[in-house]
Amino acid sequence: MLQYGQKSFLIVDDYSDFRTSTRSMLRELGAREVDTADSGEQALRMCAQKRYDFVLQDYHLGDGKKNGQQVLEDLIIDKLISHECVFVMVTAESSQAIVLSALEHEPDAYLTKPFNRVGLAQRLEKLTQRKTLLKPILQALDRSRPAEVLAACAELCRKDPRFAPLCLRYRADALRDLNRFDELEKLLTAILSSRPQPWAYAALGSLLHKRGKVSQAQGVYDQALKAFPIMPGLYDGMAQVLVAQGESKRAQNMLEEAVRLSPLAVRRQSMLGKLAMENGDFEGATKAFRQAVNQGKSSRYKDPECNLNLAQALMSKNQGHGLDARTRVEINTVLSEVAKDNADDQGLQVRARMMKAASLQQVGDPETAGKLTEQAVQRLEKMEQFFSVDAALTVARQLQALGQDGAAVSILKGCVETYGDDPKVMESVSKLTDDPAVLNAVTQAVELNRQGVRSYQGGDLKEALDIFRRALAMQPKNISISLNTTQALLRIAGDKLSEEVMQECRKSLNGVAGIPASDNRYDRYRKLHIRVFGA
Amino acid sequence: MNHDNQGLDFSTVIASTVHDMKNSLAALTQAHGQWVSRMPPELRSASEQGVIEHEFSHLNSMLVQLLGLYKLGVNQLPVCPDYHELDDFIEAQLAQHQEVLVQRDILATWRIDTDAPLGFFDRELVASVVANVIDNAIRHAGHALLLSIEEEDEQLIICINDDGPGYPKVMIERQEEFVQGIDQSTGSTGLGLYFAARIAALHERDGIRGRIEISNGGTLGGGLFKLYLP
Repeated sequence: MLQYGQKSFLIVDDYSDFRTSTRSMLRELGAREVDTADSGEQALRMCAQKRYDFVLQDYHLGDGKKNGQQVLEDLIIDKLISHECVFVMVTAESSQAIVLSALEHEPDAYLTKPFNRVGLAQRLEKLTQRKTLLKPILQALDRSRPAEVLAACAELCRKDPRFAPLCLRYRADALRDLNRFDELEKLLTAILSSRPQPWAYAALGSLLHKRGKVSQAQGVYDQALKAFPIMPGLYDGMAQVLVAQGESKRAQNMLEEAVRLSPLAVRRQSMLGKLAMENGDFEGATKAFRQAVNQGKSSRYKDPECNLNLAQALMSKNQGHGLDARTRVEINTVLSEVAKDNADDQGLQVRARMMKAASLQQVGDPETAGKLTEQAVQRLEKMEQFFSVDAALTVARQLQALGQDGAAVSILKGCVETYGDDPKVMESVSKLTDDPAVLNAVTQAVELNRQGVRSYQGGDLKEALDIFRRALAMQPKNISISLNTTQALLRIAGDKLSEEVMQECRKSLNGVAGIPASDNRYDRYRKLHIRVFGA
Repeated sequence: MNHDNQGLDFSTVIASTVHDMKNSLAALTQAHGQWVSRMPPELRSASEQGVIEHEFSHLNSMLVQLLGLYKLGVNQLPVCPDYHELDDFIEAQLAQHQEVLVQRDILATWRIDTDAPLGFFDRELVASVVANVIDNAIRHAGHALLLSIEEEDEQLIICINDDGPGYPKVMIERQEEFVQGIDQSTGSTGLGLYFAARIAALHERDGIRGRIEISNGGTLGGGLFKLYLP
């Protein structure tokens, strides 16, 4: 029996009558500790202060506010609730909430309004029983120990094999976190051949994609969309696979479908906007980025890139036609927001100013555009962080258009120093400049890096390190070379890390300290950084 | 759906209105529940109270069904099957109707005759079907209602049996026509069967689709509704 008197409850609903009536139901059941919140934002603050045993979260909390799904995501990602907490999503209509939800974070149960005291008590009682059954698994999850999760699952399946299906998802997530990909692939394939579920399709698709089996991944998503055509998350995965195969038009179609089913998703809208830009559909891009910016206001996935992209899309849409008053206001608003929200980010400050300057140029105000550009160039000279490739290319292009060729070349040079080992980057850079000082700067270092990788893979670590060191001496800001050098140093040293080796590692990593978090090597950089600097 | 924006697409209008109606009804039901709990006992058990409870629940089931049918029509009804504990599922369905059952003096019992404690289905969708059938059974039952879950050839069968006069003979004979949506002359019961059959068919395994079957008899001798889930 559930001891209501010893548990804490949080009711989140924007409608006070519902809060009152649910609270009296809980009181009648014997609950003493019942708190209420009228918004997701308030609920998050309360969960940061206190550990609740039960959260009854209304799905729809008003337009422009966080919805129940966003609250759940925030609670889980920021670890504000324990996995042992019972989280119930209260909805007027569950099918809608299911479509709008994300596959990664599902509530423990849905409860449809209206409900009565008996119905509420029955659900809470049962959910508590299930959490008790799964307790060892949930505790291991709270400690973020995937290996212990697997052990706890195995123990439960041994004790009562009839409940094994309840462990499937915990096992899959744990295998993924442990990088045990072969086992994971086997498990997911087995699940799908017996009892297909949307999450298992998404997990297998993303696993295959990650392992480079792109066409196989596409096959999985094809099957998934046939079985579950109304799950937006599956369209996202399919779109990513299509992008990897260079099919950006079809990828855009997929995301348009996903957005039609579930428009409330900042990352989905932003990805759609990027694809539409790539496909020259500036109307579509504008719409998607506008959504991303608006929704971002109440979302953890708020991203200044969406603001910059929205400004760019609006300008591209009106290319050759100046900009009308409404568009100018919109561009100003979204760019000021970037500048205001990111006061400490030099890169974003420069980019927002350059974007503004470019828009003024389009409007026909070259004088103000020129002044803004001057300001941006001054900031650029003092900037320590690296631009991402896209940001560097955009800013360089804008500088060129505004007559600042010198500053443009210096950005391109920096870009080549950092990313020049990637032929695609070199190709893009060569479209903007034919300055040999920029284009030929890296050839030798990049060739050495390649040789080093070959030696490393061949097992000759000493030779590899030697080659990486020579490459790094030429290009100390190249991300790949720096990471490779550090990794080789650590690998050779093994457990016996001398102060000398550590110092060399630190120096090597410091050269690329400006790496943007959006870079796909950022995780690798962080891991090495933790080993070398301890944080 | 209609994309050319010429006038109103009436089914969309109905769907969004039904959505709002459902919210209103939820607020009404919950407020009424609170109000009743503060009434003196003799008023609380008045027979009107039973009528109100039952009609609230019936209205709600109809709105859920209407929204479901709309979403089926525009291919937007999501199916998200998962493993669910059967006893939990059945208890929850009865708990939802608890007050009406007490008011009408109907004894509801349940039984599970399966090896596995878990079933694989879309809980929300199947629950909406079961709620409809229970509503219907309550209206016709004498004093008993039995919910049971059995297993046959790896299929789960959810049965709802009452001790009333049973389904009309003609309905049993022509159930296929209701299921296919050909005959809609019986109003809500026929529509309910159609909805139930569509939800059942959304559950598929190895080429076998879910289905429904109505008959008379069973342990209690009245109407017997069976939902087969592969």
